Amino acid sequence: MADLKSMLDQGTQDGLQIYGHQCSRKFYELLKERRFASTRCRGCGHLTFPPRDFCPACFQPDVEWVDLPRQGRLYAFTQQERSVRFGKPDVIGIVELPGGIRLLTRIDGKFETLRIGQSVQMEFLELTPGLVLHQFRPV
Amino acid sequence: MMMRGQREVAILGAAMTPVRKDLERPITDTFTRVILQALSEAGIGPTEVEGLYVTPPGFARPWNFMFACDLAAHLGVPTRGLVMVECGGSSSLAALKAAIQDLLTGRVRVAVAAALDQRAMPAGDDLFKNLPTYVARQIGLYGPYLGPYGIGAPIPLYALSSQRYMHEYQVSAEAVAEAAVRLRRNAEPNPLAEYRDPITVEQVLASPILSPPIHLLECSPFASGAAAVVLCRKDAAQGRAQPPVFITGFGEYHHPSHFLDDRASITTFEATVKAGAEAFADAGRKPSEVDVAEVYGVFAATELMLYEDLGFFSKGQAARAVAEGRTAKEGQVWMNPSGGRLSLGHPAAATPMMELCEIVWQLSGHFPKERGIESRATPYEVGLVHSEHGMVNGGFVLILEQ
Repeated sequence: MADLKSMLDQGTQDGLQIYGHQCSRKFYELLKERRFASTRCRGCGHLTFPPRDFCPACFQPDVEWVDLPRQGRLYAFTQQERSVRFGKPDVIGIVELPGGIRLLTRIDGKFETLRIGQSVQMEFLELTPGLVLHQFRPV
Repeated sequence: MMMRGQREVAILGAAMTPVRKDLERPITDTFTRVILQALSEAGIGPTEVEGLYVTPPGFARPWNFMFACDLAAHLGVPTRGLVMVECGGSSSLAALKAAIQDLLTGRVRVAVAAALDQRAMPAGDDLFKNLPTYVARQIGLYGPYLGPYGIGAPIPLYALSSQRYMHEYQVSAEAVAEAAVRLRRNAEPNPLAEYRDPITVEQVLASPILSPPIHLLECSPFASGAAAVVLCRKDAAQGRAQPPVFITGFGEYHHPSHFLDDRASITTFEATVKAGAEAFADAGRKPSEVDVAEVYGVFAATELMLYEDLGFFSKGQAARAVAEGRTAKEGQVWMNPSGGRLSLGHPAAATPMMELCEIVWQLSGHFPKERGIESRATPYEVGLVHSEHGMVNGGFVLILEQ
C-alpha cells in the first residue's frame, strides 16, 4: 500500500485536476516554475486573487499574469490540532499583500511566536516535484 | 421584497427530531416521519399537501441522484411542486424560498419544507483506503486555494475570523466563552438538544483547543437530525389546529466569494448585513422590535459577530450585551432559545429548519411534547431566523410574526 504522504499528495493533485479550473491549474504550474503570480486586467488594472481568465471587476477578457509581491503582513493565523493533510504543527494564516490582496497560506513559524501585523516572506514549498505550494515565514 | 410585511404565507406546524450523533432510523424513514409529524402538529392530512421542498440528506456522504423523487414516492403524495436545493448551510431556507414562491403565485396551497443531515463519518479503514479521493473532494468543497493548504473543515477558517474579530474589537477570550455558556443555559431545559449539562467560562476555556482561539466547547458539534414545517396560503390557514405564524419578511444575499475572499472583511459578514437589512425592510420591522431569534452561529465568536451584523448591537458590542443578559430570555432579544448551534447541536443541512421550528413554536405558543414546554399564550410577537453558508459568504433572514 502506498505510504500516507504519497496518498495525500496524490489526492491533492487529483483534486486540483478534477475540481480546478484553467487558471488554478496555471497558478500551480507557475508555482512549480517558482513563480508566485496572479492575473491583472489590462483594461482597468484590477489585480485579482484567485487568478481569472477574465476581469471580475469590469468583466473584460483581456488579462495578464503578473508576479505577486513576495512580502506581506500576517493578517490572522491559527493552528490545526488535527489535520488530515499535514501533521502537527499545522500553522496556517491569512497574509495581506501590498495592494490589499489577502490569501490563505501555510505559515513556516511557531504559532506561539507569531503576531498579527508582522512581516512575512513568501517561499516555495515543494511537496513533490509535481506539487509546489506557497508558504510564508516571518522575517 | 417578497413578503412586503403582509400575512400571505403561514406556517401551521413544525416538527424536528432530537439532535443526536446519528439518526435513529434510515434517512428516508426519518424524513418521512418528521414530515408526518409536522403535518400532525398542523392538523393537516398528507393528501392536502401540494408541494414538497427539501434539502439533500446532508453533507457528510454522497447522496443518490433523484433523492427528492424517491422521498416523494415513499411519502406517497402527488405534488405540483417538487424541489431539492443544495446551497450549503443555507440549503433548507433556499428550499423554503421555493415553497414560499409557489404559495405566493397560488400554484400551491399547502406545502411542506423539510431538511435532514446525517453526519456519521466514514469508518477509519474506509477513510484510509479512500484517502486520495477524500483529499481530492476536500479540494472540490473548499476550492483549489484552500484545500491544498490543509483546509479539510471550516474550523480553521472561523478560527482566523475569530482571532481577527477579537483583535480588532478587543474582545477577550472570557467574553467569547460567555456566549457559549449562555447558549448552554438555553439548552438545559430543551430535551431536543444534544448538550444540556451546565458549563462555566472556566470549563469552556479549559476545554481542548481545536484551532486557536476556538475551544471545543465554543464549536458546534457534528450532529444528525431532521426538521419539517407545513406552510400554506393565508386563505387555507384559518380554523387549523394551532395559530398560524406568518412569514412577513425575507432577505437573501450571496457575496461572490467561497469561504474566503481576497478583500472582504472576515469580521463583518456582508451577506448577513445585507440579508438582514432586506428582511427588515421587507417586513417593515427593525431589530429592536424582534423578541426572539435563532441565528446560525457555529462558533462562539461568530455568534457574537452575527448578533452585530443583524443589527441588534453595534460592532464590537455583542459580548457586552451577552454579559449584561440582553440576549437572555428576560432581555432585549432572546437569542437562540433552543440552545443554538453550540448546544442544540448542528446538523448543518437541517439547522435553519430547526431554527425555524423553534421560532414558530415560540411565536405560536404551541410546543410539541418533545420540546418539554407546556403550550401557552405566547409573550412574543416578532421572531427572526438566520442562516449562512460558506464562511458566512451567503445567507438568508426571515422575519416571522403572529
